[in-house]
Amino acid sequence: MLEHYLESASTFSGDIDNLIIMVAVIVGFWFLLAEFVFIGLILKFKAQPGVKAKYVAGEDPKEKRWVAWPHYATLIFDVMIIVAAIRVWHHVKQEMPPADETVRVIAQQWAWTFVHPGADGKLDTADDISVVDELHVQKDKTYHFELLSRDVLHSFSVPVFRLKQDAIPGRVIKGWFKPTMTGQFDVQCTEICGIGHGIMPARIIIDTPERHAQWVAANTTGGAAPQNAGGTK
Amino acid sequence: MHETSRRLRFFSFCALAVAALGCTRPDGANKALPGDKLFAACTSCHGNKGDGNATLGAPAIAGLPAWYVEAQLVKFRTGARGAHPDDLEGLRMRPMSRQMMDEGEVKSVATYVASLPSAKSAATLQGGDAAAGQVAYGTCTACHGPQGQGNEALKAPPLAGQSDWYLVAQLKKFKAGVRGTNPLDTTGGTMRPMAMLLADEQAMKNVAAHISTLAR
Repeated sequence: MLEHYLESASTFSGDIDNLIIMVAVIVGFWFLLAEFVFIGLILKFKAQPGVKAKYVAGEDPKEKRWVAWPHYATLIFDVMIIVAAIRVWHHVKQEMPPADETVRVIAQQWAWTFVHPGADGKLDTADDISVVDELHVQKDKTYHFELLSRDVLHSFSVPVFRLKQDAIPGRVIKGWFKPTMTGQFDVQCTEICGIGHGIMPARIIIDTPERHAQWVAANTTGGAAPQNAGGTK
Repeated sequence: MHETSRRLRFFSFCALAVAALGCTRPDGANKALPGDKLFAACTSCHGNKGDGNATLGAPAIAGLPAWYVEAQLVKFRTGARGAHPDDLEGLRMRPMSRQMMDEGEVKSVATYVASLPSAKSAATLQGGDAAAGQVAYGTCTACHGPQGQGNEALKAPPLAGQSDWYLVAQLKKFKAGVRGTNPLDTTGGTMRPMAMLLADEQAMKNVAAHISTLAR
């Protein structure tokens, strides 16, 4: 449903959408019901000629259940939401499926540098490809990412993956994703990081294995000229 | 379901349209801002007077010629400068240069920066040998002039009065290929082999020490 508004492009983005929908439906249902009852009671017990207002202590069980039952319902639905949220959180943030490839994501005021492992599939080798503001990955491959910050707090957000992870100076934070569709999508910083926070967008380019291999070959030292405007080395 | 989806899209569109109305500039859409207003975005790093901030790696820009400021802004905007993964300060400047809406605004802010009164930057580096630097500076005079006054025809900026830390930082960047390697940066490409003539950091400090003796 939410993918009509924003593509769902990772293996776990659907889980997060379902969680959001579940919370929206539960909270929305109870909000509307509560408002309906509230307004209904106001209309039913509005001031009437000859009827004196009385204080209701709520000691009668028949009156008390108007408070008690919603309480029980809140507890039950809270537990449902918490269980569902922990399951999704564990899958996205705690599990680390084996990586096909690892990329390094370096945040700074106000740019992203993405280090790709090159043709050998390994980081920190001579054929690594560093690109500013462009992350190149391929569909159906599991990626681990190493997230660093050069200066202040940032947050690595890929909306189509429903992925968001803070970057903290001095720490290397690991995570994962597996793209499920090709295309070009936004990468954002979602932690206020200074005056240029709002203007540090980047793109993630998800390609087929063949096109990704072409990009790697073209940007490997000794290959063709880099395809972006000066942002590689 | 399909009808519901269409309605949701319609309402989303309306919400976005209303939000977009709030995104216009406060003094009217499509109206270029004057240089002093645009300069407000620069002050957080370059200072209210454009006198720079060494801690942030932001150079003094007050009084630099408008043609040079404009040329550098264009380079940052096009990725000719400040797009190298190792150019920490350049990557910071890159998005800021793109805040200007068009060439007219670039010119406006460049003209305003040029109009700011410049002051000679205080020396911050120790150990530079100005006498040795004077010898090495001989190569620089062809473009930057014997007094470091710059040369617009050659697109060589004035150096006299610029902070010594900034000069050394840029020489290091040129030498390491962090600056001046992009094919779009033709003047940077000219400067790079010149920087490579300086053997080490000491040689760069010497040149910077000599430049700091030149009158602005």
